[in-house]
Amino acid sequence: MTAVVLAATVGALFAIGTFLLLRRDLIRVVWGLAIISQAANVYLLSMGGIAPATADSVPILAGHGEHVPQTADPLVQALVLTAIVIGFGMTAFALVLSYRVYEEHDTLDVTELGDRE
Amino acid sequence: MTTAPVGTDTLVIAPMLVVLVAAVGTLLLGRRPRARATVSLAAGVAYAVAVAAIDWYIVLAPDAPGIATYQVGDWPAPFGITLVADGLSAFMLTMVAVLGVGSLIFSTRHLPGGEERSYYFPLFHFLALGVTGAFLTGDLFNLFVWFEVMLMASYVFVAYSGGPQHTRAAFWYVSLNLLASAIFLLGVGGIYATTGTLNMADLAQRLAEPAAYGLEPVPVVGLLGLLLSVFAIKAGLVPFQFWIPTAYRAAPPQITALLAGATKKVGIYAIIRLSFTVFAGAEVAVDLPLPLVDVAVTGNSPLPFVGAALFVMATGSILVGGIGAVGRDSMEGVFAYSSIGQVGFIAIPVAIAATATAPGLRKFAIIAALVYALNHTLAKGLLFLAVGTVKSATGTSRFADLGGLASRSPPLAIAVFVGSLALVGIPPLSGFFGKFLVFDAAARARAGPVIVLLLVGSLLTIAYTTRLWNQSFWGARTPAVEAATVDSVQVAVLAVLAAAIVAVGVGFEPVYDFAEAAAEAALDTEGYVEAVDPQDASELTDSNAGGGDH
Repeated sequence: MTAVVLAATVGALFAIGTFLLLRRDLIRVVWGLAIISQAANVYLLSMGGIAPATADSVPILAGHGEHVPQTADPLVQALVLTAIVIGFGMTAFALVLSYRVYEEHDTLDVTELGDRE
Repeated sequence: MTTAPVGTDTLVIAPMLVVLVAAVGTLLLGRRPRARATVSLAAGVAYAVAVAAIDWYIVLAPDAPGIATYQVGDWPAPFGITLVADGLSAFMLTMVAVLGVGSLIFSTRHLPGGEERSYYFPLFHFLALGVTGAFLTGDLFNLFVWFEVMLMASYVFVAYSGGPQHTRAAFWYVSLNLLASAIFLLGVGGIYATTGTLNMADLAQRLAEPAAYGLEPVPVVGLLGLLLSVFAIKAGLVPFQFWIPTAYRAAPPQITALLAGATKKVGIYAIIRLSFTVFAGAEVAVDLPLPLVDVAVTGNSPLPFVGAALFVMATGSILVGGIGAVGRDSMEGVFAYSSIGQVGFIAIPVAIAATATAPGLRKFAIIAALVYALNHTLAKGLLFLAVGTVKSATGTSRFADLGGLASRSPPLAIAVFVGSLALVGIPPLSGFFGKFLVFDAAARARAGPVIVLLLVGSLLTIAYTTRLWNQSFWGARTPAVEAATVDSVQVAVLAVLAAAIVAVGVGFEPVYDFAEAAAEAALDTEGYVEAVDPQDASELTDSNAGGGDH
């Protein structure tokens, strides 16, 4: 059940992101990119396995003492953490760029951008 | 686990440390332009020395090990971050080092921009850091991270000159690459879920024996396709080429030289490394009709899929790049489109290698791709730097405002002439051997249509280089050219690069040997796995289950 919900969520996020990406407004394009990278993050997180993991699926725990707690796969969480940091940084950069585009072109409409050289 | 990191193993991390220290150091020297430039130059030379040391002690010396690994923090392979230097990485790093030093010397003479000059050199080193990291990493997720490091610096460079059209180019460049990053993450996540590892050596080992690790290798083909599209975007292969002309026009010329000569090669490198070293051993039954090439494309690995996709993309690249270049009205426009076409010439032999079944042909085709890549880095680096020289001398690069450059500055003209001839492939320049090997590989694969395609591409190259030469170097001098003062240091850099092109062509044998070592390294999955030595997770947990069962 969890898997189905998660799959539907990832799918919906990608759909919304793609829809926004194809808008004429630059800010919406940035939002679309942000949502798509979040969708990729959720997908990445779900790739670690949704059921609680054991020593078998989290081999790094086995090298550290006898006791292996029930836990989710920490590797994908580390990956997602890195990806989130990069994604947020890039979203901020893209937003600043779109503000600069607005300053220089007086418009955020994609179709009007090409007219000014 | 490897022994304490001494000697050649430590050498692997040396170029990365050099550029990292240089990036932070030049950031701290923000208000002292002279010191900043001096430190940058010293770092560039130190980088070249470090790369030369890797070349000699790890790859070329008589008793060299051929491959060296550095386990960051001394964590054993599948868990820690692994850095690997082998022939292929060393070959790529050498190209970046040569072009990087040239571009740095060039940059000390001509820095675009006003206030943002303080950040030019730190960004330059961060770009080099990302490229170096991508060449050395032995881990799929770290490849993603180094790609991002490289891209972040290149985003700023595309927006660097600050005009409205630069901002617009940067916005589309950033958007496209953010999308590519998301796709990269999907591929990485899928591969982790399928195989339970991200370490490339571990991945290769598991894919070669899927039964032993209880994994199903078929989804890997699709995931490799995702990764391939990401790398094709970085390499600028058709249909992912549309960002190149605007981005290359927007970035400063000496950075464009690096974008074409170095970051593009990261895409090519990643395709070769992942396809041949990592995924080649995956057990996937393939029966693919491929009408263009007369070789069997049935096999037991995902490589034929890679080959088929690359054939299509390379064909498009050669045609779109060549035809596009003929019609441009500025020097960097011609070279940007030419760059799209030339990367097709690199991708064709990679595609031949992927579809070839004979090991000899496979190795030969990779050698051809590498030699052509080397030629492209030298020639296109030289030509983009020449655009920088022309721009800083005359303030323009449009054909309409240029003419008679040859009589205004003969050394500049000779350098551009050598670079253009290398693109065309005239002996005894490096381009001749690049083209010759690519044609030879196509002939050995008995791929008639491919040879025709390569011929068409070569004719288009002759057409646009001739046109560029006629428009800007011959004819009457325009006012802009008459008033030009050509910087002697910049021309000296061009002359050295032109000399390098001639030297590679004349003394081709050692270059071929190096490329052969690189191709061998690319195909030597067993050696790669053995050098990285990923300890199996099950050995640590005393259990048979790997990570691929969730």
